[in-house]
Amino acid sequence: MAREFQRGHKAKISDLTAGTDLYVGVRIAAPGLAFDISCFGLDADEQLSDDRYFIFFNQPKSPEESIQLLGAQAGDTESFRVTLDRIPANIHKLSFTATIDGAGQMSQIGPGYIRVVAGGEEVVRYAFDGTEFTTERAVMLGDFYLKDVWRFAAVGQGFDGGLDALLRNFGGEVAEEEPPAPAQGAAPGFAPPAETSAPPAFGVPAAPQAPQPAPAFGAPPAPPAPAPQHQPVHAAPTIVAPLAPRPPHAPTAPQPPQAPMPPQAPMPPQAPMAPQATGPYGQPPQPPQFGQVPGHIPGQGVPPPAPPFGQHPPAPFGQQPPVPQGGAPQTGGGLQAALQPYKEAATGQRWTSQNQQLMRADLTLGDMPVLARQGSMVMYQGKVDFGYKGAGFAGRVVGNATGQEMQLMRCTGRGQVFFAEDGSHLHPIELQGDGICVSAENVLAFDESLQYEVRRIEGHGIPGGALFTMQFQGTGTVVVKTHGVPVVLPVTPTTFADCNAVVAWSSASQVIVSSQVRLRRNAYPGHSGETVNLQFRGAPGNFIVVQPYEV
Amino acid sequence: MNQHQLAGYAPTPVTARMENHGHTMLKVAMATGQDLYARTGSMVAYEGFIQYEPNPPAVRQIASQWITGEGAPLMKCSGDGLLYLADYGADVVVIHLDNEALSVNGTNLLAFDSHLSWGVERVKGLAKFAGQGLWNVAVQGTGWVAITSRGTPVVVDCGRGEDETYVDPDALVAWSPNLKVKGKRSFKAGSLIGRGSGEAYQMAFSGQGIVVVQPSEDSTDRLRIRN
Repeated sequence: MAREFQRGHKAKISDLTAGTDLYVGVRIAAPGLAFDISCFGLDADEQLSDDRYFIFFNQPKSPEESIQLLGAQAGDTESFRVTLDRIPANIHKLSFTATIDGAGQMSQIGPGYIRVVAGGEEVVRYAFDGTEFTTERAVMLGDFYLKDVWRFAAVGQGFDGGLDALLRNFGGEVAEEEPPAPAQGAAPGFAPPAETSAPPAFGVPAAPQAPQPAPAFGAPPAPPAPAPQHQPVHAAPTIVAPLAPRPPHAPTAPQPPQAPMPPQAPMPPQAPMAPQATGPYGQPPQPPQFGQVPGHIPGQGVPPPAPPFGQHPPAPFGQQPPVPQGGAPQTGGGLQAALQPYKEAATGQRWTSQNQQLMRADLTLGDMPVLARQGSMVMYQGKVDFGYKGAGFAGRVVGNATGQEMQLMRCTGRGQVFFAEDGSHLHPIELQGDGICVSAENVLAFDESLQYEVRRIEGHGIPGGALFTMQFQGTGTVVVKTHGVPVVLPVTPTTFADCNAVVAWSSASQVIVSSQVRLRRNAYPGHSGETVNLQFRGAPGNFIVVQPYEV
Repeated sequence: MNQHQLAGYAPTPVTARMENHGHTMLKVAMATGQDLYARTGSMVAYEGFIQYEPNPPAVRQIASQWITGEGAPLMKCSGDGLLYLADYGADVVVIHLDNEALSVNGTNLLAFDSHLSWGVERVKGLAKFAGQGLWNVAVQGTGWVAITSRGTPVVVDCGRGEDETYVDPDALVAWSPNLKVKGKRSFKAGSLIGRGSGEAYQMAFSGQGIVVVQPSEDSTDRLRIRN
């Protein structure tokens, strides 16, 4: 399960994942702005003593390829692959930064994040947005740093001066010495507006002194010097921009209803497998590993799998520090530890999400019954009574029209009831006097205090003749289920949604049925080629919710 | 082909006998002498030399009463290598039992070490009800067990209050065997004329222990596209 970090949070990588082959994805975007995202490999003094460890688009990997730039993918604006155990000993910190290319300031950015993915699973995410920044032009998003072991920290610190400030912070002299090289290399994106050098000009303006001239970038010359010495120059004290978290302007993300969850699904978290000589999926060269595994895995207990496969290249087996358990590291063995991540969440609220798919209603709070779709209760504790609840007159109208009445049950008593259905994602929506329309089949449960009425939207071609929606009004909570992660769109003059995929909309928006006959030939025999879309109109502030599922 | 795009899915290094690969796949490090029982048909891939024996004699004996004939839905896996198991995209939870016991619903059991002591039993106090009956596998000892859950499960501690915990049998995944189990019919007169609450039958647990519940009541329809 991905852990959500706030600014300033830190954790050992080994607590997050057993892997050391990590994918780091950064998403940052703002209308009209371009961002350059780079990674600084810093030494123990937080200096960029070796500019081959300044990883950016002109130098996409470090000499021994422990840090690689992978490009935009899977919803990430930029992504890196980091192989922690191959990072040379003199690198103590990797700092991931984003810089605005050109004019602009960080307060303009929309919701973004830096995330770490290992083994196909997102393990940590630090989300931020423009409200945390002001006029900065660069921001340090997160760090991997070595303090006994590798750790990850969510930094979120801005720099007013943009890249120069950043470089000074890390490397010192931007102007006089070697650092110009990186700075200029970055020219297309980073160069301060003033001296916009033509993109290909690698080292031009500062060329004279640069100890290693331009070509250094494309192909790092020297073999990975294990411990590049500090040239005195670099030892010069830098403008240390302390990492102390600044007073939080606004603790992350009072996210507007928009975009409730960006593409969160563990997506192609590329990184790990270097394009290295080894076989496609990083099969280690020699197969005999199997023989060796047994020794280390005597069924239980799992003694530290002593690093027999010392080979660092992505070897699937062995080579790991002892981490007792896949699921719940470090908590000791046993049942309790393994199930720890799934423990019941305990908060004193009436509606509590246990996880994305389970919702708990505490009937002892609020003292009113809950109406729920029949069959959606998976468990309850306490004395709860489940009774039949007709959908009322309107419901019967619906029932007659569709042949399937929406069946509700009324949960009364004192206790906690857990609701879920088919593993759908559940979203509690709290209404405070406002209204929302929910497609009838997406309603899972709601407080009885809400007033609701069933409405039908008729249109030619809608399956069943009409689309049934329940309009809720008043004060209380509605639990809406969606298949998959939904998208919340603001209503604009041209907002359309498939009538099968739309889940809910704010009741102030007006719905118009629009049919389109596609010019394209039928998708398949029997398909009319006609699709029914709903068009939404409304004042700004209205929204619709759409699920990625059309049945 | 640009393998960067896929590289993130490569296996992580082995650190334990059983591990998750993503949410829904189980990776087992197999070794000679450490056999594994796995749900028949759950193998999705393997590397190395692994043999599968469906319905082995040992299982046949223990599970002789499992359902009616056909044999138990377990196979014995032996050999050396890496074995990947999955069950139609269900979430996999890996548990290391430390001289503990767990009772797992038959359909939610994915794999377990063969040296664990185990037995198939019909849930006590329950009449066969839903056509499929309710069978569970009690696993005990020190070793690894992997269970599946349709959706992210939740673990509830039963010993919290004096009240019993009632679970929909279709959503039940596993529980501590020391809990007292009984069936509860919440029939009312109304339900006989087609006006039930939809929740006709629950299992009641009392005592000290945990219950694992999945957010889906559909334990049979595996060929469903989930997200």
